[in-house]
Amino acid sequence: MTIIPALHMAGISKTFPGVRALDCVDFDCRTGEVHAICGENGAGKSTLMKILGGSYRPDAGEIRLNGRLVHLTHPRQAADAGISIIHQELSLLPYRTVAENIFMGRELARFGLLDRRQMNKRAAELLRRVGADIDPEGQVSTLSIAMQQLVEIAKALLLDAGILVMDEPTAALDERDAQNLLSLIRGLREEGVAIVYISHRMPEVMAVADRVTVLKDGQKIWTRARHAAPVPEIIRAMVGRDLKDFYPKRPSSGPGKVLLSVEGGANAALRDISFDVRAGEIVGVAGLEDSGKAHLAQALVGDEPLSAGVMRVNGKPVSIRSPRQATAAGIGYLPGDRKRDALALRQSVRDNALLTLRSMAGFFARPQRAALSPAAIDSELRDMDVRAADFGQEIGTLSGGNQQKAIIVRWLAQASDVLVFVEPTRGIDIAAKAAIYQTMRAFADAGRGIVVVSSDMPELIGIADRILVMHQGRIAGELPRGASEEEVMRLSLGIAQQEPREAFA
Amino acid sequence: MSSNAISMEPASFNHRKGLPIAAVLAILSAGFFVVIALATGESAQLSLQGIVGLLQRMVALGLVAIGQTFVILVGSIDLSVAALISAVAVLASLLMQGDPAMILPAIIACLGLCLAVGLVNGALVAYGGINPLIATLGTGLIIQGVLAASFADLQGAVARQFQVLAYGGMLGIPYSVLLLALLALAAAFILNKTLFGARIYAVGGNPDGARLAGIHTERLVLAAHVIASLFAGAAGLYLAARLQSGTPWIGRDGIYDLESIAVTVIGGTILAGGKGGVAGTLAGVLLFASLDASFNMLGIDAFLKQVLRGGIVIAAVAIHAVRYKGHVA
Repeated sequence: MTIIPALHMAGISKTFPGVRALDCVDFDCRTGEVHAICGENGAGKSTLMKILGGSYRPDAGEIRLNGRLVHLTHPRQAADAGISIIHQELSLLPYRTVAENIFMGRELARFGLLDRRQMNKRAAELLRRVGADIDPEGQVSTLSIAMQQLVEIAKALLLDAGILVMDEPTAALDERDAQNLLSLIRGLREEGVAIVYISHRMPEVMAVADRVTVLKDGQKIWTRARHAAPVPEIIRAMVGRDLKDFYPKRPSSGPGKVLLSVEGGANAALRDISFDVRAGEIVGVAGLEDSGKAHLAQALVGDEPLSAGVMRVNGKPVSIRSPRQATAAGIGYLPGDRKRDALALRQSVRDNALLTLRSMAGFFARPQRAALSPAAIDSELRDMDVRAADFGQEIGTLSGGNQQKAIIVRWLAQASDVLVFVEPTRGIDIAAKAAIYQTMRAFADAGRGIVVVSSDMPELIGIADRILVMHQGRIAGELPRGASEEEVMRLSLGIAQQEPREAFA
Repeated sequence: MSSNAISMEPASFNHRKGLPIAAVLAILSAGFFVVIALATGESAQLSLQGIVGLLQRMVALGLVAIGQTFVILVGSIDLSVAALISAVAVLASLLMQGDPAMILPAIIACLGLCLAVGLVNGALVAYGGINPLIATLGTGLIIQGVLAASFADLQGAVARQFQVLAYGGMLGIPYSVLLLALLALAAAFILNKTLFGARIYAVGGNPDGARLAGIHTERLVLAAHVIASLFAGAAGLYLAARLQSGTPWIGRDGIYDLESIAVTVIGGTILAGGKGGVAGTLAGVLLFASLDASFNMLGIDAFLKQVLRGGIVIAAVAIHAVRYKGHVA
């Protein structure tokens, strides 16, 4: 190969505590090329781009720009080297004008004095270029999220960068704005910009990419020219992995009566949510990060209550406006971010296991008696095989698996009918995972129900009796037991929805 | 692919056409003062002299609060200003000992002290990652402790000539009021018209975004703390000139730390940073000054005065909260 690529990253590795985020990844992008990166959540796409942007330093590997070795230690250096990044999270100043945002950090000034007229003029030009009719002097907080996204894109174009990275640039855009953006990308490619395009949306990748690289679990699976990478191949590479057979056997008997049902549920993040959970059943919820699956869990437990629709528990309509009401109705919650949402890290294992019982107990309940006594909760903790030297030790010192088991004990003690698990085994090692799956199955077999929201697809397929797949705040489809990862991924990407041959826009 | 001509709705901005917060607040404060003056028959308060007196009440708190506005705009806070004011007042009178030749050296020494304290505060917050409440509370306690241990009584006095700052004037306007006006204009200019100002807002509005935009956020936080300390120093010098000699308790007795934060927030600068400005802060100071003057005219006792002030602070911030909500929704 004689061509020197505009961007060449070689052997990039990055480890965070407990996670190998990137493992010796090679990546390059030529001038006048759109190179798409695909991968599941947590595959390492964003980490790779944060390294390129100078936010993270790699543990190993090197970055070359037009063949020249560079060390990027601050976002400023990356920008000066001609790398412009449109970040996934909005990084705007809500109370400043659009023009001030576009020029943030690169303000036009003479002798330190701002040249607002010039900035407004240039900003208007950039906004026209991204096809956004936005007043550069307006305040950002008055704009819709989609408009703000377009401001972010205009901001990235300001740099006139040789390398442009777009991390899910269309996440908040509707079809029309997304189409505008794609034609803008084609224009930039003509101008010789090297574009790295990260997206979950397969149709966009197909429409715009010249080459496709698939990352998975921090490793590069392959890089291929677009014509050599049909969508099913990409999806298979994104999800393909060894399935270990550690999921518990499902009972042969069918599910029992309906424990929990939702009809027409909706709130700011959800629409048309209808499903039910039967006794003995584990219902999985799949979807991409922005699909609304986490919001569904929060709605069920009253953290982000439904504003419309009917929820029934054991056939009785219930109004759940707060987690306390959910707990009283028999719904328990095991959040995805255990450290932040589930644990009092500096309190004992026992205190953490007793948390719900204590909070639901009457004001005059005697703290050391009956179910609230240390002896009662200790025996439950032992039954769950929570391994701690002493249940009086701080729960923060336990492994993730044991912490999760202690939280399960918390809800068993409360005798909840339905448990809502989010990412039940995130950050938990294989052996403890199996134990948690066993516990979940045993809970369901005892005539109760589970809703499990997870980004880990083999886990969902292995543990759930059926899977609801969410896309853009709706349930895009339901898959029975034994669904393949490809089927789940297709629904998550919103591809299956397009199958009814509707006229294109 | 048919991309039909798209008729985009113009992005709708609800530019609020009403008066800015600062103007509303200033008019309310002045109106309150006038009404009370008329109601109590103290119409002398409405003469030029009375109004100058009202403005002079604003000087000390106004200077501190302008500095406080800078730190709050970058999303930090400074609780050490009260102690620093005392330190500067004591240092000024100690160094001058009534000798006019020592005026300039004393001022330089005082501002040097402020620069050092500002650098320490800024370094602790920006580079040390220490919560600004704790970091500046700590430096404030250290300064206060050193003062209390070293200076039990009044130490020396400032030079007579230096007191012109508090008691002299031109065209009937005291130099101190002119100083406040000048520094306020300078601060407003810096925040609104310069690169530095734009970056102050960027750092406070979205620290991560500012960093990703290539801004060295730590340097700006440091600079804001230095500015706050220097403004506190100016207030300390003014108080020394007015009282002739500094005591170790001037700053603390004036509650300049908490009141400077209160007026800044009343003026519409949000504690999270990134929104607000000097005009609002000065309007907040005017509110406090006219309340004080009015309570005096009404003969309200000192304790009730505190209660009323407290209530007004809460009410003002609550009004902002409501406005903000309505604005977002």
